[in-house]
Amino acid sequence: MSAIIEVRDLVKVYNGSIRAVDGITFEVEEGEIFGFLGPNGAGKTTTISMITTLLGITEGAIKVGGHDVEKEPTEVRKVIGLVPQELTVDDDLTGRENMQLQADLYDVPRELAHERIEELLRLVDLKDAADRFVRTYSGGMRKRLELAEGLIHRPSVLFLDEPTLGLDVQTRAVMWEHIRKLKKESNMTVFLTTHYLEEADSLCDRIGIIDRGKIMALDSPTRLKENLGGDIIEMTVEGEGDFSNLLAQACNGECNPRDGNRYRIKVRNGELQIPRLLRSVTDQGGQVLSVSLTRPNLDQVFLEYTGRSLRDAEQSTVTNRGERMAQARQMARRR
Amino acid sequence: MEMIDLKVALKQTGALTGRELKHWYRIKIQLVLAFVQPLLWLGLFGQAFRLDALAGGMGGGMPIELAFGGAPNYFSYMAVGMLTVIVLFTCTFSGLSIVWDRRFGFLNKLRVAPIPRGIIPMSRVLAAVTRALLQAMVVLVIAVAFLYVPGLVGLDITNSSFGAMDLLTMLGILLLLSLGFAAIFVAIALTITNQDVLMGVVNLLNLPIMFTSAALFPTAIMPDWLRSVANYNPLTFAADGLRQVCFENAVSIHSLGFDVLGLAVFSLIFVAIGIVVAIKVLKY
Repeated sequence: MSAIIEVRDLVKVYNGSIRAVDGITFEVEEGEIFGFLGPNGAGKTTTISMITTLLGITEGAIKVGGHDVEKEPTEVRKVIGLVPQELTVDDDLTGRENMQLQADLYDVPRELAHERIEELLRLVDLKDAADRFVRTYSGGMRKRLELAEGLIHRPSVLFLDEPTLGLDVQTRAVMWEHIRKLKKESNMTVFLTTHYLEEADSLCDRIGIIDRGKIMALDSPTRLKENLGGDIIEMTVEGEGDFSNLLAQACNGECNPRDGNRYRIKVRNGELQIPRLLRSVTDQGGQVLSVSLTRPNLDQVFLEYTGRSLRDAEQSTVTNRGERMAQARQMARRR
Repeated sequence: MEMIDLKVALKQTGALTGRELKHWYRIKIQLVLAFVQPLLWLGLFGQAFRLDALAGGMGGGMPIELAFGGAPNYFSYMAVGMLTVIVLFTCTFSGLSIVWDRRFGFLNKLRVAPIPRGIIPMSRVLAAVTRALLQAMVVLVIAVAFLYVPGLVGLDITNSSFGAMDLLTMLGILLLLSLGFAAIFVAIALTITNQDVLMGVVNLLNLPIMFTSAALFPTAIMPDWLRSVANYNPLTFAADGLRQVCFENAVSIHSLGFDVLGLAVFSLIFVAIGIVVAIKVLKY
């Protein structure tokens, strides 16, 4: 396996002060599905925009398929496909016309384009709607057309920026199915960004956890979860003193420093440990008010590496950094 | 600088120009408007503003043919000039689609494709040129047809040897004119990202361009300072050239050769500016 995308010390500064991407380095291997997981405003789209030649780099370097994105943008453009976050298919053309336009822009010979258009429309289940104007399509259909367009020139890397944003649960499942099918049939490299945990978990071979412009962790979903060191038991205990040492000893796990009267314990086989923990607290005169057990999941991975849950991160960025980033991006786009 | 494959670039330009034209002719109301507007202008403005009658009534010393560039009446003078005005008005909005494409993300789809950046404005320019020429030809036909409607004045092409070559010359003149104007307005649209601001700028520009030219009124009756500007307005070059083709014993401002050369320089400069602006604006 060799790296098809190489990113070195990448930095993007908007308006001279906002560090949207703050020195990231990573590689994407050929044939893998690689995902960026992070809240809105984490720098995911900014990174994708730089890799796909849409945005200038402040510092660092990017190579795609061996080509430097700043020195040979056209070579890079030839080997990548981008399915952007917004719906950009042309409303006033039919589905097939949209595909044909894309084929012409990528210089796919007519005959071949014809074949591929039929094949791709079948792949994304748009065969019957192919000759209808796109303005009559639903959101899910547009997104599927967008995906098919991104594939017309058989790119070696396909970029999916929030591929299921704004789609309902069923349509999301259909998109995942398409992406898996693609990967199985063509061994294409897929780079996706998402702020949906399940999406990253079920689709990606490797995940980069990205927050505030930095990569906080990078590994396979399984390994990331294993590294958490087991299940999480959260307890609320009323009583004198600090129970954290007691709890850690009782189950041979790790206990975070108490947060008010709440304790967070990391332990393997949590369900077997709960009775033991309850007994030890009760023996020492404490009163357990509540207990919860959580299996390792990516939200906890996120919490582990960023110090906050993904949902909290979403909320805080919406009011703060996310908004500033959105403004900066808007201004960058205007130029 | 990377090499551009000309054949591929032509295919890409064709595909994008086709998209622009599809947007235009598929919306029936746009087609209707495009042809109703010049009809109204010719029908109302052209028939009502009998500047020739006015000139005679005021006892102006100038014979009509002299005042109106050799045209037998004001309507004939004005109808030929109207062809250039139609071109101007069609081209002013040629860049509007870029603003929408930017807003809906389609422009990014083009930017991420392996196409030379200049193709993005050039396809809009070519689509506008096609529309402008088609509309101008319709206006020409309507204006001549007025001759055969009782009670109306029509465009009287007095050049007795008028033939296919003359028609081609007229098309050539209008082609150069529309290339230049479409390129200016596409370049403006590339740098303005808000459609309301763009509309404002377009409206600010198009009327002054029209009135400081020989398109609808002879520059001879303008004050000196205005005439010195108006005589070098591209609309004047075009209208002046067209009249020399249409009318016997035309009284021209410049020679036909100078008019065509002026237009060629005008369109060349603005097409070049359009491409440079596109490369700068669309890079990131």
